[in-house]
Amino acid sequence: MKKIVILALTCSLFGLSSAMAESIVASKVSDDLSKININSKVWQGAKEQSFIAYPQTTIEMIDADVIKLNAHNKAKKILVKALSDGQNIAFLLKWKDSSNNVQEGYSATAYGDGFAVQLPIKLDSLPYIGMGSEGRPVIVHLQKATGKTYEPNGNKDVYHQVNASNQNAFEKDLQTYKGDVTALGNGDYQRAFISEGFRSMTQIKDNSEDAMMQMSYSKGMWSGVIVRKLKSANLDLSKGTFPVAFAFWDGDKKNRDGAKVLSSWLGVSVQGSNVKLSYLDEMNGGDAKNGEQVMLDNCSSCHQYKEIKNAPNFMAPNLSNIGGYSNASYLVESITHPNAVVVPGYNVNAHPSYPWYSVDDKGVRTSMMPPFDSLDKKSLTDLVAYLKTLKAEVE
Amino acid sequence: MSQRQLAMVMDLNKCIGCQTCTVACKTQWTNRNGREYMYWNNVETYPGSGYPKKWMELGGGFDTAGDLQLGVVPNIASDYGVPWDYNFEGLAKGEQLKPDVTPTWGPNWDEDEGAGNFPNDNYFFYIPRICNHCSNPGCLSACPRDAIFKRDQDGVVLVDLDRCQGYRYCIAGCPYKKIYFNPKISKSEKCILCFPRIEKGLPPACAQQCVGRIRFVGFLDDEDGQVYKLVTKYKVALPLRSDYGTVPNVYYVPPTEAPPKFDAHGKIIEGSTRVPMEELEKLFGKEVHAAAKTLKDEMKKRKETGESELMDLLIAYKHDDMFRLDSGYYADYAKSHSLEPIKIVDERYINGKFTKEMKFFAPKGGHA
Repeated sequence: MKKIVILALTCSLFGLSSAMAESIVASKVSDDLSKININSKVWQGAKEQSFIAYPQTTIEMIDADVIKLNAHNKAKKILVKALSDGQNIAFLLKWKDSSNNVQEGYSATAYGDGFAVQLPIKLDSLPYIGMGSEGRPVIVHLQKATGKTYEPNGNKDVYHQVNASNQNAFEKDLQTYKGDVTALGNGDYQRAFISEGFRSMTQIKDNSEDAMMQMSYSKGMWSGVIVRKLKSANLDLSKGTFPVAFAFWDGDKKNRDGAKVLSSWLGVSVQGSNVKLSYLDEMNGGDAKNGEQVMLDNCSSCHQYKEIKNAPNFMAPNLSNIGGYSNASYLVESITHPNAVVVPGYNVNAHPSYPWYSVDDKGVRTSMMPPFDSLDKKSLTDLVAYLKTLKAEVE
Repeated sequence: MSQRQLAMVMDLNKCIGCQTCTVACKTQWTNRNGREYMYWNNVETYPGSGYPKKWMELGGGFDTAGDLQLGVVPNIASDYGVPWDYNFEGLAKGEQLKPDVTPTWGPNWDEDEGAGNFPNDNYFFYIPRICNHCSNPGCLSACPRDAIFKRDQDGVVLVDLDRCQGYRYCIAGCPYKKIYFNPKISKSEKCILCFPRIEKGLPPACAQQCVGRIRFVGFLDDEDGQVYKLVTKYKVALPLRSDYGTVPNVYYVPPTEAPPKFDAHGKIIEGSTRVPMEELEKLFGKEVHAAAKTLKDEMKKRKETGESELMDLLIAYKHDDMFRLDSGYYADYAKSHSLEPIKIVDERYINGKFTKEMKFFAPKGGHA
């Protein structure tokens, strides 16, 4: 609770504007949205808004091919339509992708295109954009384009796990066997996760966060749809205003996990909702030019960003696209109270010379970053204004 | 670091490359369910490309500063080799036997080729490779999902298939390329050191079946065990490519005993050895020189005095003595830590135990 009070104070001090700068309006409809799909006519009446998803560059993935293929990634424009019937929320997303990649076949190097929708479980504070943070859990819905995949343990059906050539069957029996195996596969790679920071992400298998998701590719564009209940076992979005974030993977660039483009938290308002979420407010003013100098003086000895590489590799998160996928309130919070969000994502084994946080006996993480709460109001505002400019150009 | 570490020692002087270990592993674990291309245990010829192709050049592991290095995910067709099958059914109809794909690469594609000129100085030897169950696993460090863990009770490195999301960074991070992507279930899988066998006091299938008796299995801290003696007391068993920084727990007695070279007239060059020490140094580090000396000294001692504990160990008179495992230890550990048995990779053998009949063994109409 203390953290929230501090955050509320900081935000009010630094004059975040009262309106959600980027907000999705979900039109209210009378149709039962639980029965719609990607092609339903009901979408025609929804307003289309465009937002930008930026390449994730905070952490570099250790696959050399991924780094090569994604080195010059630009930000991606996404078109969003949203609908609500009072019980359900539905999003229709469209994004450009020059190739339709499906992860299928006997391959270790095929990756599928995909998208994900992230929703916070608690609405009193903004979770970290990268799959939540401790005490600020999120639900993530993922849809990937894959061929058939199978349960690792075959749901205890051992008989059908045996390779066809090892099966004691011939001719018709063998064909029947192969057909039975194929029928056991699931061609819809849809998952729901609960997470308090990447690495803690855990699949929900009890169907308590059910959603209908679909993907369809046509003429260089993917369309993706998700329909889910506003209220579920973990989530209560029924007040009609809540944050949402989107992520997109391009299989052609071997995208998976952190190799992706993602939006910042965007506000969603179901038509008629009057609730305001101040942490989604964008900041007014700020001198980005001066902020650049503040950044050089205070941040560049640890953080790399764009062409500024004074800091050693792996020392701290790379901030090259931080302005693209971070909200102003998160930036203010992280500068002044770095311990508010310490994501259990950085692997201490991978780069032990530069641990990003320490962990005590009780598992409490303390960020290695000192709080910059002594920055004066102008410097902080200017710094955040500059940080908001750190993002890739749109393709 | 785990509390205890199970380790394996392989005596390369005794490996004949018969692949019995490979087959034991394959029939036990990898002949099905998307694992067909995987060899959790393989035996490759050195010098050679290895499996997957040129694995030593595919990155992963750590540099001297401890930073995990970039790696790549090999391609099944061009780097591992697609397992091909034959048109056995067609034979009955008079067809010519032919593979179902045109093979272009496979494990042991370059088996026994080696290096040098036949017959004067050509050479090769075999390296059986399993997962090294490293103390600082590259796969574990590379996983963004905490899906890979190292067991406290014996240091066995396992993939939690519930957590694994099939990202494949583990493959890039492992310098030995001993973790594999299963395209059927879209998850990573690897050698499990036959933990269901080990917990019952049985050695891993590869070690149990080894006809050359080259494999010793035991805990590194068991001072009465052969593994401890070979690794710590005599220091003749060395880890493979320890420069990768993963602290592997499979150790090799280097193949120091090779035949001599021939000169241009086909005469033996006295004192020469076919396997160049610089090649062994590449694989096993500078310690290989001391290990080679110890081996030679002990052989000489044995010849002269008839006694050498080290030679007795390496000869491995009794198969059972090569394995120092203890089902009681695992039972006690599980009890004191309230552990549930880990779900094994699949339950074929457990189910098989209770299978009364196999459907296709039953005679049927039309199949006399």
